[in-house]
Amino acid sequence: MSQQATVVTTAPEPKLWAGGRSPYNVSYGKMMMWFFLLSDALTFGALLISYGTTRFFSTVWPDANQVFKSFPFMGERDLPLLFVSLMTFILIMSSVTMVLAVHAGHYGDKKNVAKWLLWTIIGGICFLSCQAWEWTHLHSEGGWWGSFLDVNTPVSQFAHFFNAHKTEHILATQPALAMQSTHLFFNYFFTITGFHGGHVTSGVIFNILILVNTVNGVYERRGHYEMVEKIGLYWHFVDLVWVFVFTCFYLL
Amino acid sequence: MSGHHNPNSIQHLYEGDQSKLYSGVLQHHTDVNSEESKKQVGRIWKIFWFLLVITIVEVVMGMMFSHKMSRPVANFIFLALTLVKAGYIVAVFMHLGDEFKGFKVTVLIPLVLFIWFIIAFLADGGFWLRMNDESPARQHVTTSAPANSNEY
Repeated sequence: MSQQATVVTTAPEPKLWAGGRSPYNVSYGKMMMWFFLLSDALTFGALLISYGTTRFFSTVWPDANQVFKSFPFMGERDLPLLFVSLMTFILIMSSVTMVLAVHAGHYGDKKNVAKWLLWTIIGGICFLSCQAWEWTHLHSEGGWWGSFLDVNTPVSQFAHFFNAHKTEHILATQPALAMQSTHLFFNYFFTITGFHGGHVTSGVIFNILILVNTVNGVYERRGHYEMVEKIGLYWHFVDLVWVFVFTCFYLL
Repeated sequence: MSGHHNPNSIQHLYEGDQSKLYSGVLQHHTDVNSEESKKQVGRIWKIFWFLLVITIVEVVMGMMFSHKMSRPVANFIFLALTLVKAGYIVAVFMHLGDEFKGFKVTVLIPLVLFIWFIIAFLADGGFWLRMNDESPARQHVTTSAPANSNEY
């Protein structure tokens, strides 16, 4: 008897791929965010691969340990990679606070969502401030889009970007090659970190928007914090891109 | 809407109660202090420490050892560590590891294109490197010009 009753009340399940269902159990918005990030990954990939190609066919290339050796308020002290490590730490940390906000969202915990989003925003702003300092510093050393093109530039203006020991010969005999590499290096550096910084900036703006919505109870009324999850995907992607930028510009 | 012919509309699953759409970690829960919640938070922090240690290893290697090692070996280690970091960020922080297998495959397969991109562009770069180093025109410029010439 009871079995018959069950049969009557159960509606027929629509076919998995016949429409009207989400076969991957993913909402439309989240899936589209993934596909957007996929296209963005291809854009960043194109930028980094063209950087790699240019570097691969250049006889000499600026040395990261020479270009990035400054730290704010440390003057002329030689501290290679230290400042960029701090930036990487800040971004990884802000990724953790973001995933904690997403986690709080899964539990509908409004207070913690707001708290962790606030920390994420602070982390993002710290990262952008660090980048602003680094850009200003490199600009004061003569680096910018289209810099180091003048054939009369003295070698002394770019020699310090290179590993003196390894490039001594090239700098002495073919300084033009070294200057061309410096020109290309800064073009790529400012384009790629600028494109990434633009992503961080928009990420911070999105985070501020969803923080306002969270505090106002928009997501509480909606019944879910999926918007936090979607912006979280974007924010983690920005962190992911930095992992690759860090490797390509500072380590390789 | 006239475009919707399915009588079993699931519109509410997309814009309304999403708890029915998800499972596992992504599901909607109620008790933030539950054992499950604490386990997930612990997992997040564990990944954070792991990422931090990998980054520190990379930086120390970049500062001290990579110049003394053979360049291809150092680059291979850097790229391998980078891919490990990327994998953990995508799998745990972006929750891709908690999605359905079909969705993981859908997102990851297009990235296989990168293998081809890298091969193609390195081949192109290799060609230009050879052109720069061996082309007679280049040889002419670099050997006959005075040392302080900026021609190129």
